[in-house]
Amino acid sequence: MEALLSLSNDLAGAVEHAAPAIVAVHARRRLPSTGIHWRPGIIVTADHTVSMEDDITVTASDGRSLPATLAGRDPGTDLAVLRVPEMGSAAATLGDDAALKVGHMVLALGFGPRASWGVVSAVGPRWRSPRGGDIDRLVRLDLVLYPGFSGGPLVDAAGRVVGLNSSGLARESRLAVPVTTVSRVADELLRKGHVSRGYLGLAMQPVRLPEPLRAQLGLTSDVGLIVVTVQPDGPAARAGVLLGDVLVALDGTPVSDLEDVQGRLGSERIGTVVTVGVVRAGGRAEVRITVGEQPRRRAG
Amino acid sequence: MSATVTAAPSAGLLDAAAAALAARLARITVEVRGRGREASAGAPVGSGVVWHPDGLILTNAHVARGDVSVVLADGRVRSARLVARDVEHDLAALVVDATSLPAAEIGDSSALRVGELVLAVGNPLGLVRALSAGLVHALDRRFIQADLRLAPGNSGGPLADARGCVVGLNAMIVGGLAVAVPSREAQRFVRAQLRG
Repeated sequence: MEALLSLSNDLAGAVEHAAPAIVAVHARRRLPSTGIHWRPGIIVTADHTVSMEDDITVTASDGRSLPATLAGRDPGTDLAVLRVPEMGSAAATLGDDAALKVGHMVLALGFGPRASWGVVSAVGPRWRSPRGGDIDRLVRLDLVLYPGFSGGPLVDAAGRVVGLNSSGLARESRLAVPVTTVSRVADELLRKGHVSRGYLGLAMQPVRLPEPLRAQLGLTSDVGLIVVTVQPDGPAARAGVLLGDVLVALDGTPVSDLEDVQGRLGSERIGTVVTVGVVRAGGRAEVRITVGEQPRRRAG
Repeated sequence: MSATVTAAPSAGLLDAAAAALAARLARITVEVRGRGREASAGAPVGSGVVWHPDGLILTNAHVARGDVSVVLADGRVRSARLVARDVEHDLAALVVDATSLPAAEIGDSSALRVGELVLAVGNPLGLVRALSAGLVHALDRRFIQADLRLAPGNSGGPLADARGCVVGLNAMIVGGLAVAVPSREAQRFVRAQLRG
């Protein structure tokens, strides 16, 4: 029985180690979500659980209710950062997500503390979330994320935080944002209030490409993206993209959905030139656009 | 086929410990059935825990609404008399005519910590003594919530800690969580109802 008892004690110890850095975040009407005291005075949580930007409070693990201000948010990585000056110094112990392997025992924790037990079911390389977020590592979990667990820590058996759990990151609901990504995005949000993304200044929607046209122009995909809005004086407008152009390629690679376009316009592309292949007036054209930076959607 | 397998010794110990514990818990778990005619028992309604070797069995009040039959771990079927019932705490006490039954070691539910391993044994979906493993999800004043998959037939069966001590009786499934009546409550019930 000793082996089982020692595992049990380790798991309970991991919860106790992590619990002081777990807060409840009251930023939506319904159930509060969970947040992590990332470093002194800084809380991170899941962006999709923040529906109000003012009058946010957090409940610390000792029961204190503390005012919080939203420092920034990034729907792409589903992260939001709060400043809570009165938090004190009991910030989380951060682990190393690069060490995560399939089969590792992990705990997802919620405010309370509440615990959910499982294993890392898959790890993978850097990926783009459906909303364009740059996630350093894929961490898929086999455990239950109970209501209110989003924004809470994924901890290893030693109680070190290796990720932030989110059911809003992708349709596949049990994923964690690795600690590397959380730290990087939190830094950027604290510095700028938002995460930079490449911007063309276009609104597009998928459109079917008729077979004769595809054959004539040698297009492989049967779907293109028709330009329905050109932001006046935006990067695409300046480069000469016209309303009604149908986007079929980026830098020579066929594109057929919006996520694909967004995914290829990370912050590293800002200021660089992207060659956009379009169908215009029944023929092919190429337009060279200098990628701009996505304007901030909201103030404050 | 000829790959070298390096088994982690700690994992082997863990497996052996879990299997030993499961066997121990199965011996103290009974199947509660409806009242059949004579020795034959009715349909399964839940599980129960042998609380005392002289035939005292605890289960949920919603499992035992009257006299029932129980199937002991060794397969013997016994008729069981309902001697006490507390609907508020979902507890019921049954007595069967038997002695020297393997009985539960009772743990201290008030010492449980969130994250501790817990095991449940019961008869869900007609399975005989099925094991579920999980951990303590949260503690509130009245119940233990466990991150553990239960099925309806688990009701009244034991929730045990990593030592194999019974810390609760599984009572409900709420939002996917197992909800158990703490052993401390069960002990209070036994003391209050069966004094003298």
